Amino acid sequence: MLTLFDHEYLDLDNLSDDLTAIRVENLSLQFGTKHVLENISMRVPKNRVTAFIGQSGCGKSTLISAFNRMNDLNPHCRYQGQIFIGQRDITHKKQNVSELRTQVGMVFQRPNPFPMSIYDNVCYGLKLQGIKVRRQLDDAVESALKDAALWKEVKDRLFDSAAILSGGQQQRLVIARALALKPDILLLDEPTSALDPLTTLYIEELIAELKSRCTIIIVTHNMQQAARVSDYTAFLHQGRLIEYSDSDTLFTTPQQKQTEDYITGRYG
Amino acid sequence: MISNLLKRLLSSGQRQAFFIGAGAFFTGVLLLAMVSIVMLIAARGGGYFWPKEVQRVEYISPQGQARVVFGQIESEYQQEDTRVYWLYYSDAASPFAHQSLIEESWMQSARPAKNAARIALKDGRVMLAEPVSVMLPDDAPVSILRLDAVRDKVATIEQRIAELRENVLSDIHLQLTELDSRQVSDAAPARARLNQAFDKWHAQVLALESQRDSYRMQVRLADGYETTLPLNTLYSIDYTSRLSFAEKLTVAVKRVGRFLSESPKQANTAGGVFPALFGTVLMVFLMTIIVAPFGVMAAVYLNEYAADTTLTSVIRICVSNMAGVPSIVYGVFGLGFFIYGVGGSLDALFFRDTLPAPTMGTPGVFWAALTMAILTLPVVIVATEEGLRNVPQDLKAGSYALGATKAETVWHTILPMASPGIMTGVILAIARAAGEVAPLMLVGAVKFAPNLPIDGEFPYLHLERQFMHLGVLIYDGAFHSQTDAKSASMMFAACLLLLVVVFILNILAVLLRSRLRRRYEKR
Repeated sequence: MLTLFDHEYLDLDNLSDDLTAIRVENLSLQFGTKHVLENISMRVPKNRVTAFIGQSGCGKSTLISAFNRMNDLNPHCRYQGQIFIGQRDITHKKQNVSELRTQVGMVFQRPNPFPMSIYDNVCYGLKLQGIKVRRQLDDAVESALKDAALWKEVKDRLFDSAAILSGGQQQRLVIARALALKPDILLLDEPTSALDPLTTLYIEELIAELKSRCTIIIVTHNMQQAARVSDYTAFLHQGRLIEYSDSDTLFTTPQQKQTEDYITGRYG
Repeated sequence: MISNLLKRLLSSGQRQAFFIGAGAFFTGVLLLAMVSIVMLIAARGGGYFWPKEVQRVEYISPQGQARVVFGQIESEYQQEDTRVYWLYYSDAASPFAHQSLIEESWMQSARPAKNAARIALKDGRVMLAEPVSVMLPDDAPVSILRLDAVRDKVATIEQRIAELRENVLSDIHLQLTELDSRQVSDAAPARARLNQAFDKWHAQVLALESQRDSYRMQVRLADGYETTLPLNTLYSIDYTSRLSFAEKLTVAVKRVGRFLSESPKQANTAGGVFPALFGTVLMVFLMTIIVAPFGVMAAVYLNEYAADTTLTSVIRICVSNMAGVPSIVYGVFGLGFFIYGVGGSLDALFFRDTLPAPTMGTPGVFWAALTMAILTLPVVIVATEEGLRNVPQDLKAGSYALGATKAETVWHTILPMASPGIMTGVILAIARAAGEVAPLMLVGAVKFAPNLPIDGEFPYLHLERQFMHLGVLIYDGAFHSQTDAKSASMMFAACLLLLVVVFILNILAVLLRSRLRRRYEKR
């Protein structure tokens, strides 16, 4: 098959363990009596950008929230099946959730900087880890902000309140805050839906740069965005994984009728 | 029914105008009521400090005697069709000023007496008289113009006496006590030597004291009666009839200063209110320290940790209802639970040897602060919960996503964000606690406390001591005031001060809250 990209696509069905970031095995999830995810199995490849698309309420946000157990905040959440990150089943009762979340960072739809200085925002996670040495924090803040392409804009006002930043800057700050913990996986839950097109472009460029550093999973409503930034795309519909393949294939020659209907805009 | 009636009678525009008008009317009435309360208290309380002119008043008593006195008209009012004055005056029968009701028809004349002064003594008594001359120890009168110079001399003697008492005499006394404790015999030479020294110095002190007391000021009352006052008992001499407006203002400011800094005299009818002011502020301060953490912890538990069950709702309802319990009930609770219960048990455990005299099981400032903390707890819990509910969910999620545990999220994100709400609760608590009187009288506030709860003695902060409180002082003074116009105005002054204290405490908390708001709510 002819590809526009300079690398070969991986065979997602037979991905070897050392190339897998997350392995989902028969995951089902309910909120109370409502079934949100049903029997999902997939492998998310390492150091690639994977997009989850689907209608509102299809369970894509719930699925990525399962990867860092943010669903636990809802006391009515129940799940069956396993999610492996490395060799560990993170759905296990004994899993240390705080530790997991430092390895699997997450960025939300609306920028949510804490009402503190820019510096303190980036340090938040590090300080929770017990890092108190000023020098170490300074270095971490600088490198995280550089990684998030924000350093140049804020280096002179690190101790100003994060509230004065623009929406796009705030979202990059939130990404920097997650990157400061050097996560293996970064979950982006509709990271640009509250931003204007130009700022969205910045964030997309940033995502492309970040994938050498960590595995990125992005949930998006915007199919052009999914096509632009992702290497692989998964389409979910009513809690089921309908189709999962490299983005090229999925957007040009979808195998499933439902996928085709969705990407051609027949519903959604 | 009323709304139907209105609908029939008025068009929609008229109805709107009617409701706006009614709203404005009631707001206006409320505002007027508040302003008139504040004005009354400010006028009567402020009037307490304003120096009133000493007048030479001639009147004919109901018994038909013509009398002439130096007096100050404290207040006046209309009784049926005659005007009645509260006259505060000195006469030969009782040279220290006292007051009496004088009807206008008795009055012959009243004009400012330029030579008469308001002479205040250190013990709070006042004499309205004309200073005539200064008496020296050899009974030689000198001009009253030399009064200040002679007073300086008396002050020097006074200082010398104090020095001798504090340094020499108490030192000898200490040495004697030490001999006692070492059980040295009465005949020991060291003891004899000390006794001798004590006698010598003590005689000198007595001599100085009699010398001091022989410096006197001769004064003359309006009716010609003359008497003398020892100079060292004088506190202030104000020729209030001679003063210009600016000078009166200076005197008033000075009196405000004394009112704030001195102890009460003459059973809370004269002097200052410093111990009461101090007690009020200390009690409110302690209460805030106690109630803030407890209220916040309770609210955090209810809002963040407790499962959303019927039990939680019941607890919430109970908390809200607690705010409506009459405060005297809290007073009885404080007395029964804290003082007799907790304090009594502490006594039984740790201070067994001093029983039956209680050490902890007695009213005191700490128990009062604790009782007031219970009383204001619901206010703080409700306001804090409100603040906690307003913390955006996505900020909490952001904190969890960075690996924070629940406790870390509460501490680093939720509490700072909710701090303006917490401050609102604390403001309401302060306003309520500073004005409360009834429960305090049961748990530690007294009419007169000999010591402040804070002093230079270890452990410096004596939380078991009883304290004075402005509200209790006002309550106490209000009973005197039925017969005493002078102390009534002092009570108005104390009311004014209480208002000012509550106002200042509130302003401080509001400033702090707006700082926190700027910091945490700018998003």
